[in-house]
Amino acid sequence: MKQIESRHWIFGGLFVIVIITMVLNINLEVRVTPETDRFYACLDSLPAGATVIVSFDHEASSLPEIRPLALAVLRHAFSRDLKLVGTALLAEGTAVGYRLMTQTADEYGKTYGEDYVYLGFKPQYIAAILSMGESIPDTYPEDYLGQPYRDYEMLVDVENYDDIAAVISIADGSLTTHWIEYGASRYNIRIVAAVTAAMMTTYDPYLASGQLYAMFGGLRGATEYEQLIGIGGSGKRGMLAQSAAHVYVMVLIIAGNIIYFRTRRRKGSAS
Amino acid sequence: MNRRIAQIVCFAFGALLFALYFSQHPAARKLNATVMIDYWQIIFAITLLVGVLGFVRMTWGSIRKGDDRPYRIVSLIGLGSMPVLAIIWGIRGDSPFMWMFEYVLVPMQSTVFALLAFFVASASFRGFRARSAPAAVLLAAAILTLLSRSSLEGIVPQFFTEAADWVRGNPSMAARRAILIGIGLGSLTTSLRVILGIERTWLGGEK
Amino acid sequence: MDWSVIIAGLLTLAIFSFLYRDNPVYKMAESLLIGVSIGYFLVITWSNTLMDLLFVPLVQDAKWPLVLPLALGLMMFGRFHKRTASLSRIPIAILIGSGAGVAIPAMLEARTLRQITATVGPLLSESGQPDWSVIVVLTGVITTLAYFYFSREHKGVLGGVAKGGTYFLMIFFGTTFGYTVMSRMSTLIGRVEFLLSDFVRLAQ
Repeated sequence: MKQIESRHWIFGGLFVIVIITMVLNINLEVRVTPETDRFYACLDSLPAGATVIVSFDHEASSLPEIRPLALAVLRHAFSRDLKLVGTALLAEGTAVGYRLMTQTADEYGKTYGEDYVYLGFKPQYIAAILSMGESIPDTYPEDYLGQPYRDYEMLVDVENYDDIAAVISIADGSLTTHWIEYGASRYNIRIVAAVTAAMMTTYDPYLASGQLYAMFGGLRGATEYEQLIGIGGSGKRGMLAQSAAHVYVMVLIIAGNIIYFRTRRRKGSAS
Repeated sequence: MNRRIAQIVCFAFGALLFALYFSQHPAARKLNATVMIDYWQIIFAITLLVGVLGFVRMTWGSIRKGDDRPYRIVSLIGLGSMPVLAIIWGIRGDSPFMWMFEYVLVPMQSTVFALLAFFVASASFRGFRARSAPAAVLLAAAILTLLSRSSLEGIVPQFFTEAADWVRGNPSMAARRAILIGIGLGSLTTSLRVILGIERTWLGGEK
Repeated sequence: MDWSVIIAGLLTLAIFSFLYRDNPVYKMAESLLIGVSIGYFLVITWSNTLMDLLFVPLVQDAKWPLVLPLALGLMMFGRFHKRTASLSRIPIAILIGSGAGVAIPAMLEARTLRQITATVGPLLSESGQPDWSVIVVLTGVITTLAYFYFSREHKGVLGGVAKGGTYFLMIFFGTTFGYTVMSRMSTLIGRVEFLLSDFVRLAQ
């Protein structure tokens, strides 16, 4: 049997810390950052009945992080009586998006076809974004359920981005970049993004230049958004574990450096 | 001959879509949509099927040779089961296809991703050392971010959060912006070289 | 007893077993994941794209011009035989050419010009004081670009400027590392939440 190595202790420590903090089930309040506030204000300022595209541009792998973000945004959008059009630029986001939209719509008593429609997936994201700028019904002749686009009353006047108030890209990778570079640049559509924490610094230049109107992300961002809309979710529940995991990583970094410098000093004095 | 035709087709589609980008004429926009949807999307979708067939051929070859046979068989069963379930029960609502997605694919896919948390923790201990001045700067920026983006606001002074926000919004953003500009210029020149036929590696080696 | 949750939980544990070491249970789960992922992808691409953009308009609405992209797409399958492999160059040419054609204006405008415009701002604020944020961003962009300029050896002034760029890059990598830790931990927390709230509760 293979021996237990130091990495196993590190893995075990992380597991124990996350499990204990999750079992404690303490909801922490967090400070709402200006970036989350700006996203919230953007959705809040849209008039009731405005049509918004919600694009599920992520894979199943990031669902634990994406789910709280998407639920918070969808709840806010439905509570504001916005008309939502769901799309997906990645195949795995397709089923996830449909489930999340129908689940949230049920919470708010919204009807499929009247308050929201799910169009589904198109491959080759650049072509999909650009062709929707020319004609959404030509890009999606049918919705995810196989019904013709033209059958839905809420889509009668929705031809292209001119009829869309904003695009919300819920992403775990670089697909929001394509919305910005092809959708916003070519068709002047307003893009806002809810992204995984790992992607946030990638989008900072677009946010600073105004090409991306607003962005928030990560479990922390989801917690802030849940606070803003006044509905607790898994973001809030996970914040204690998140903070504890951050502290654990910081302790590991510091401990690793102490060992490194002590070893170096010992080697230096020995020679 | 075939390579020459492919180059001409590449140039024609590249030049056409480049020109259409600047035109607002209804006919141009209609043509743009036709190229995007009827050609780009459809050909790309069929290309994905080619990829799937390639995977099946490779896996079948491994099974015949006996390389990791049980695992390869499981892969093929998993692959084959999805279209079968979709054909019999459909893909919407509470179909078995969706069950496979929700209770097989999603849990495993997200757990594979969750494994990275452990490796990040391990790497933090083993490799994240302040060996030089730039490495120390990297370490400081990472710790500042970790401190500010947890919910330890009662313990960590407000100054740290403000400093972290400033660092992300200015020096960090500046480096990312430079990378972005560099990639932009690189992509721009590569695209031009492809359309003009200077860059031809995509055509493959054989004549 | 919810068998779905039990199966999802066992598969989750099978993947986690890799943390101890590579083992047959993990390999089996991994192989199943690969197969199911590709199968799912195949079905969604077929039903969400090829059906509504190609086969339904072609068969039901007799939109005959679609025969051409269908034929071009089928030429891609030529790759599997040596004698027909060159046929796939034509559809690849369409994909590559289209991508390059739309990328030129997008890269020039969105990625280059707009970013440069956002970088170059007034170095003094309205009160006449230096605007340190603008100065830092401008310095950061110039020095980092200098670091990636490989046409000349990094010596003298260029070497000094490029060295400055290294520090900006390190700040970016450090910040990104912090956010990546956050992201990975969030995913782990999501899986642990599933195990604790759904899987373990069922087992009780």
